[in-house]
Amino acid sequence: MAEQVTFAIAAIGALGFGIGVVFFRDAFRAAVSLIGTLLAVALLFIVLEAPFVAALQVIVYAGAIVVMFLFVIAYLGDRPIVPGTDRMDAVQPVAWIALAGVAAFGAITVLASAIGPEHSVSDTNVGSPASIGHAFLNQHIIAFEVTSLIMLIAAVGAVILAKRAVMLEGGR
Amino acid sequence: MATTLAWFILLLPLLGGIVLASWPGEPPRAVTRLIGIGSIATAFVLALVIFFTMLGNAPSDRTFVSGLYQWISIGGTSLDLSVLVDPLSIMMVLIITGVGMLIHVFSAEYMEHDRDYRRFFAEMNLFVFSMLLLVLAGNFFFLIVGWAFVGLASYLLIGFWYERPSAVAAAKKAFVMNVIGDVGLVLGAFLIMRELGTLDYQQAFARAGDLGQNSGTALAVCLLLFVGAAAKSAQIPLHTWLPDAMEGPTPVSALIHAATMVTAGVYLIVRCHAIFQMSELAGDIIAVIGALTLLMAATVALQQVDIKRVLAWSTVSQIGYMIMGAGLGAYSAAMFHLLMHAFFKACLFLAAGIVIHALHDEQSLDRMGNLRKYLRVAYFGMGMGCLAIAGFPGFDAFFSKDDILATSLAAGPVGVFCWVVGVIGAFITAVYMFRLLFRAFWGPDPKGGYAHAPHASGWWMAVPVSILGVLSLVAGWIQVPFGWSGINDWLAPVLADVKNPLEPTHAGEWLTIGFSTAAALGGIALAWWLFAADPERRIRLANVARGPRQLMDNAYDFDRAYDDLFVEPGRELGTVLLDDVEPAGPKGLITGTTAVIRDTARVISASENGLVRTYAFGIVAGLALAGVVLAIVVAGAS
Amino acid sequence: MTVPISAYLMLSVGLLVLGMLGVIRRRNPLLLLLSIELMLNAGNVALIGFSRQWNDPSGQIFALVVMVVAAAEVVIGLGLTVAVFRSRMNLDVDEMSSMKG
Repeated sequence: MAEQVTFAIAAIGALGFGIGVVFFRDAFRAAVSLIGTLLAVALLFIVLEAPFVAALQVIVYAGAIVVMFLFVIAYLGDRPIVPGTDRMDAVQPVAWIALAGVAAFGAITVLASAIGPEHSVSDTNVGSPASIGHAFLNQHIIAFEVTSLIMLIAAVGAVILAKRAVMLEGGR
Repeated sequence: MATTLAWFILLLPLLGGIVLASWPGEPPRAVTRLIGIGSIATAFVLALVIFFTMLGNAPSDRTFVSGLYQWISIGGTSLDLSVLVDPLSIMMVLIITGVGMLIHVFSAEYMEHDRDYRRFFAEMNLFVFSMLLLVLAGNFFFLIVGWAFVGLASYLLIGFWYERPSAVAAAKKAFVMNVIGDVGLVLGAFLIMRELGTLDYQQAFARAGDLGQNSGTALAVCLLLFVGAAAKSAQIPLHTWLPDAMEGPTPVSALIHAATMVTAGVYLIVRCHAIFQMSELAGDIIAVIGALTLLMAATVALQQVDIKRVLAWSTVSQIGYMIMGAGLGAYSAAMFHLLMHAFFKACLFLAAGIVIHALHDEQSLDRMGNLRKYLRVAYFGMGMGCLAIAGFPGFDAFFSKDDILATSLAAGPVGVFCWVVGVIGAFITAVYMFRLLFRAFWGPDPKGGYAHAPHASGWWMAVPVSILGVLSLVAGWIQVPFGWSGINDWLAPVLADVKNPLEPTHAGEWLTIGFSTAAALGGIALAWWLFAADPERRIRLANVARGPRQLMDNAYDFDRAYDDLFVEPGRELGTVLLDDVEPAGPKGLITGTTAVIRDTARVISASENGLVRTYAFGIVAGLALAGVVLAIVVAGAS
Repeated sequence: MTVPISAYLMLSVGLLVLGMLGVIRRRNPLLLLLSIELMLNAGNVALIGFSRQWNDPSGQIFALVVMVVAAAEVVIGLGLTVAVFRSRMNLDVDEMSSMKG
C-alpha cells in the first residue's frame, strides 16, 4: 500500500516537474524544475530498493550537473529569443502527432508485452553498495574502466574548451 | 625469276619511302637524292630486265604469276598477296618507273629551294610504290589496296605545301572524289566476288562469261568499275578535282596527274576487258562519256590563263580519248595512247616547270612572252610536246590518236559519233596547245618586262625534259598504220580473249589520217593567226562570243553545281546535327543524366539544414513511424 | 513489488516523450540539454525497474554508467555552448546551422 502511494506521488511529481522543464520560459525555473524531477526519480529508486543509485542520483545529478547548468545560465545570461523566427514552426503539428504516436507506441508495447512473473520476494541485497561494487569489479570490470576513461576524456575536453574560451576573450 | 624481280620492284620504292619518311631530322640533300632517285632508278633497271626476259620468250610464255602468301581463305576461294607480271603490267611498270625516274631527277633541282626536300621524295616514293602495287596486283583486292594508297599519296602530294589553304582544299577535294570512285570500285569487286566466286584476275576473267552477256549484272559490274575509273581518271562527272590538283608542285603534276595515276582508270578497263565486253551497253556509255569529257575539257582549256591549268584540262581531254577507245573495245589503241601521252604530257609539264622555276613561281600566261629567247631547253620540250599532242604527222599522238579514231570507226554508230567528236577535239587541242606555246614562248616580252631575266635551268632539269622531248618525237614510230604494230603485238597475249577484236578498215585509216592531219594543221594555223601573227589580235577579239567563253571559263560551272548539290546540303546537315540533334541526343542524354542526379541530390540535401531540432524531430518521427508499422504487424499477426 | 513493472515503464515512456517534446520545442541550447537529461532519467527509471524485477545488479550498474555518461556529456555540451554562444547575443540553436548540407 505504502509502495503504491509513494509510487503515485513520485510519478506525478516526476511528470509534473518534467512538464515544467519543457514548458517554463525562464531558464532558471526550468533548471530548478529539473531538480524536482530528479528528486522524484530518486524517490522512485528508493522504492525500487536501489538506495545507492538513489543517493548517487541526488549527489551527482541534482547536486553537480544541475548546479553546472545553473552556473552557465547565470554566466551567459538569459538573452531573449526573437519570437517568430522559429524554424520548426511549419512542422509543429506534425511534431505533436509524432510524439503522440511515440507515446502510443510505447504504451502499446508495454501493455501488450508480457513481462515475466513478478517477484514477490525481493533480494534487498541487490541494491546495496557492496553488491554493486562486487558486480562492477567482477562482471562489469570493462564497463568500469571504460567509464573512468570517459570521465577522463570529458575532463580533458572541458579544459581544452575552457582554454579556447579564454583565448577568445583575449587572455592567454 | 621475273616474279622475284617484280617483288623487288615493289619493295624498292616502298623501302625508299619508309627510310626517308622515318629519317630523324634532315639528311644531307645528296643522301635524299640518292635514296629517292636511286630506288626508282633501280626499279626501272629491274623492270627492263624483266622486259628483255619477256622478249626472249615466246609470246604465249610471257605471263607470270607469283603469290607471296595466302591472305585469307574463305569458302572455296583464297586471296593471296600475288603479283601478275604480263605484257600489260610490265608496260605500265616501265612507264611508271621510267618516266617516274626522269621526273625524280627533274625534281632534284626543281625542289632545291624547298624546305621539305626529304618529305617530298618520301611521298613521291610512296606514290610510286602504290602505283606499282596497283598495276602489278594479281587480284582485285590488292588492286583496291593500291588504288586507295595512290589516292592517299595524291592527297599528300597535292597538299604538299600545306600552309596554303588553297592547296589543302584542293587535296581534300581530290581525296573525296577519289573515295567516291573507291566506293564504286569496291562495290564492283563485291559483285564480282558474288557472281564469279573469286577475286583473282586469271580465275575471274576465265569465268567472266558467267555474268551473262548483256545482262543487268554485267552492266552493273561494269558501271561500278567505271565509277572508280572515272574518279581516278577525271572523267565527267568526277573530273573537277584535277585542275585544282595543280596546287601541288609541278613534278607532282607531271608524275601523278599526267603520266601515271590518272591513267589507272584506263589500265583498269583494259585489264578487266573480259568483264567489260560482257556488256556492250556499258562500253557504249563509257565511250560516250569519254567523248564528251574530251570535248568539254578541250573547250575549257582554251580559256585558261594559268599554264598548268591548260595542261591539266588537256590531260582530262586526252584521257577522254583513252577512255573512249577502251569503252569501244580498242584496248591496245588506248594503251598506245596512254604510253604516248605519258611521254609528251610529262615533257610538257616538266617544260612548264622549267618556266615556272625560272620566273620564280609565275604561272600566268598574261605575264609570259618571248621565252624562246631565254629558255632554250624549255622551248624545245614544249615545242616537241605541243607538236606531239596536236597530232602533227610523224610525232607521237599522230599515231596513237589516229589509232583510237580509226579503230572506233569500226565500232558501229557509237564509234562513228566518237570519231566525229575526236576529230573536233583534235582540232581544238591543236588550237589551245599552240596558244600556250605562242603566248608563252613567242611574241614580245610581257607588259612591264621581266623583273630579272629568266635563268636557264641546270642539267638536272634539262636532261629529263630533253629525253622526254625526243621520246615525244620518235616514240610514236613503234606502231605505224599499214606498217608494223609494236603495241598490238606486245599486248596480244593479254588481249587474246577479246571476242570481237576491232580492226580498223583501210578506208577508215585513210579517212582518219586525212581528217586528223587537217585538224592538226588547221588548229596550228588558227592558233598562229590568233596569237602569234599579231600578238594584239587576241585582245581585240576579246569580246567575241563572250557568253560561251564565260561558260568555258567557269568550266561549265560544274564546281558551282556540286557546291549547291552536295557541299551546301552537307554543311547544312552538319549544322543541324550540331545545333539540334546533338543537344537533344547524345549530349542531351549525358547532360540530362547529370542534371537528374544533381537535382535529386539537391532535394535530398535539403534535409541537411544544420538545425539540431529538425534532426531530433526526424528521429522522433521515424520512431513514431516504426511504432505504427509494428502495431500493424502485431495486430495483423494476432 | 506491488506496483507492476508496466507502471514504471509507462512512467518511463511518459518522461521520454516529455524529453523529446522539449528537444523539439526548445531553442535555448541549455534548455535543450536539460530536456536530454530528462530523457536519460527516463531510461534510468526503466533500468532500475528491471533490475528490481530480475534481482540483477546489472541494471543498476548500467544506470550508474548512464549517469556518468550524462555527466560527461553535460560537461562537453556546456563547454561548447559557452565557447560558441559567448560572443553572440542570442542563445538560439536555430542560428547555428553552419553544418548545413
